[in-house]
Amino acid sequence: MFEVFRRSGHRDPFEHCGSVIAPDPEMALLMAKECFLRRREGQHLWVARRSDLHSFSDETLLEIAADKSYRFPEGYRDVVAKREKARARAKELQD
Amino acid sequence: MADTALVDLLTALADDELVLGHRHSEWTGFAPHLEEDVAFASIAQDEIGHAAAFYTLVAELTGDDRDRLALGRDHTEYRNAIICERPNRDWAYTLARHWLYDTADGRRLEALERSSNESVAALATKIRREERYHLIHADSWMRRVAGGPVEGRTRLIDAMALAFPEAVGIFEPVEHEDELVERGVLPAASEQMKAAFLEEIRTALDRLGLPTQGHAHAADAAEFVASSSGDLISQGPAAREPAEASSNGVGGRSGIHTDDLRQLWEDMTTQYRSNPGATW
Amino acid sequence: MTYEEKLARFNTQIEAGGKVEAQDWMPDDYRTGVLKFIEMHANSEIMGALPERECLPAAPSLQRKMSLCAKIQDEVGHAQLLYRVAEDLGKGRDAMYEDLVTGRSKFHNVFHYPVAHWGDVAVIGWLIDGAALVTQAALLDSSYAPYTRVLKRICSEEQLHLRHGEDITLELASGTDQQRGMFQDALNRWWLPIIHFFGPRSNVQNDLLLRWKVKTKTNEDLRQEFLDRYVPKILELGFDFPTPVPRQEGEHWIVDDADIDWAPLEAIKRNEGPETERRLRQRREMYETHRWVREALAEASVHHAA
Repeated sequence: MFEVFRRSGHRDPFEHCGSVIAPDPEMALLMAKECFLRRREGQHLWVARRSDLHSFSDETLLEIAADKSYRFPEGYRDVVAKREKARARAKELQD
Repeated sequence: MADTALVDLLTALADDELVLGHRHSEWTGFAPHLEEDVAFASIAQDEIGHAAAFYTLVAELTGDDRDRLALGRDHTEYRNAIICERPNRDWAYTLARHWLYDTADGRRLEALERSSNESVAALATKIRREERYHLIHADSWMRRVAGGPVEGRTRLIDAMALAFPEAVGIFEPVEHEDELVERGVLPAASEQMKAAFLEEIRTALDRLGLPTQGHAHAADAAEFVASSSGDLISQGPAAREPAEASSNGVGGRSGIHTDDLRQLWEDMTTQYRSNPGATW
Repeated sequence: MTYEEKLARFNTQIEAGGKVEAQDWMPDDYRTGVLKFIEMHANSEIMGALPERECLPAAPSLQRKMSLCAKIQDEVGHAQLLYRVAEDLGKGRDAMYEDLVTGRSKFHNVFHYPVAHWGDVAVIGWLIDGAALVTQAALLDSSYAPYTRVLKRICSEEQLHLRHGEDITLELASGTDQQRGMFQDALNRWWLPIIHFFGPRSNVQNDLLLRWKVKTKTNEDLRQEFLDRYVPKILELGFDFPTPVPRQEGEHWIVDDADIDWAPLEAIKRNEGPETERRLRQRREMYETHRWVREALAEASVHHAA
C-alpha cells in the first residue's frame, strides 16, 4: 500500500490525494500518475509506503491546552487602541 | 480574610512552575538540537502558563496582581522546591530534572483533580492534559539517552545522581498541609504522594537499566594504573559526589533557598522592580 | 546536451520566470550562490535568537515572558526550515553549523550587537523584524522554489512578530518617562545597524543572485521601502533619530549615503562586531559539550538496557 501526494505548482506544498495498491515504488508512481494526475491536477508526485508513515495514536496530544493567544494575531487585536494612546502621549509631551 | 492555607499551596505550585519554566526557557535558542529547541520552548511556555494560571487563582483570593506575585516579591517569599531553581547545567541534568519533575507533578495533579475546591480541581484537570505530553516527551528522551551511546548514558546517570535526591523536595509539605488534607482541598498528603512517586521512579529507572539509588558513576573517577596490567582503581563513588546535593532539596516550601534562586531572582525581577507601577 | 547548452536553457527559463527545484539541473554557480544565501539566512535566524534570548530572563510580565519565548522559538523554527532547504542543495547541517561557529560563514550584521534592556526587545521586534520582513517579502518570488515555500510560512510568522514588537513599543511609548527613555536609547543604538542591514547599493551588473532572480529587488529599493513605511510611525510616537537622520522629500524619507558610516559594517564583515566573538564562542562551546546529544539522536534505535 502506497500513500500518494501531489503538488499543483512550485508555490504549493505537497498534499495527500489518496493511495494505491502496488508492489513497489516504481509501479506505485506509474499507477498514481493515472489515478490522480490524469487531468493535470499536479506537476509533482510522491509516493510513500504506508508503513513508513507514522502518527500519534492519541491525537488529542495535538491540542493546545493552555492559553497561547500570544501565538495568534487575535492576541494583538487591541493594537489600534494602543496606537491611539501612544500618539496621544507623544502629542502631550510635544505641547 | 483570605484562605491562607490555600494561598500557600497555590503559591508553592505557581512558584515551582514559574521557576522551572524560567530555567527551561534559558534553553530557547540554545538547545543542542534544532528541532528539540523548538519542542522544549513549548514546554517552557507551558510551565510559565501554568504558573500564570495558579497566580491568577491566588490573585483572586487575595486581590493581588498576578505579575506582582510572579515578579514583585522578595526572593525569600518564593515557595518553590529547590530542584526547580538549580541551574540547567547541561542537557542531561535538564532532562533528568524535566522527567523527575513532570512525573512528580503528574502525581500532584492527579490528586488535585479530586480537590474539594472546584477552581483548583478544574485547573488541575486542564494542566494535566499538557503534563501528559510533557511526560511522553521526557520518557522518550530518557529511553533514547539511557539506551544510547555510553557518553550520554554516563552523563544521564551522573545527572540523575544530582537530581533524584533533590526531587523529593517537591513533596515537602506547605505550612498547614494537614488542614488542607482534612478539608479535601489537597486530597492526598505529601508523604503519601512522595511514596508513590519514589516507587514509580525506581520502577522506571530499573526498566531503563539505570541505578535506582541515585549514585554517581564510579568508573569515570577510577584511574588506570599506567602499566600493562589494566588495573582500574576506583576511588569510590564518593570521589565525585557533588557538594550541592547535600541540602536534600528541602527548605523551599518555607522560603529557605540556595543562592541559585537569588541569582535567578535578580535576572528575572530586576526589570519589573525597576519601574514600579509601569505596564509592559 | 553539453553543460553550456544546459546553462543556456537554464538562463532562458529563469528569464521567463521559471522556478527551480532541488532535484532540477542547475549551474554550479547558481547552486553555490543559492546555498550560501540560504545558509546565511539560516545562520542569521539562529544567531538572531541570541540577542533576544539574552533579554528573555528579565521579561517584565508573565505574558511577555511567554510571548518572547514563543517569538524566539519561531526564529529557531525558521532556522530549522532554512537549514533543511539549504541541506537539500548539498551541504550537511553539521558542516553548516561548524562553519558558523568557527567563523567561516556569515550572519546578518544586526545580530553582532549587544542588548541592554527591554527597549531593545521593542526595537528588535518591531524595527529589525520589520526590516527583515521587507527583505523577505521581496524574496517570495525568488527563482528557487523550495526557498519561496518556506518563506511563505516565515513571512506570516514575521507578521505576527511585528505585531508583537509594535505592541511592546506602544506600551513603552505610552508608558512612564523611563519606559519612553528605554525605547529612545535602544533606537539610538540600533538605527545605524538597521540602515546597514539593507547593505550598500546593489551592484546590479555583477550580482549573480539578482541576475538569476534569486533576489528580486535591489538593496536601495528595499531600504527605501523600509524608511517610507517606518520613519513616519516612529516620528508619530515622538521619538528622535540619531545619525543618519532621515529627511522628507515628497512622499519619501531619505537617508543620504554620505551620512552613513560604513566602518562598523566592514568590521562585522570580518566577523569583528562587538558581540561576534562572544556569541560564536557560546555556540561553539554548547556545540562541543553536547556532541553526545547528537550521537544519541543519530543512533538508528536504542538498545534495551534493562
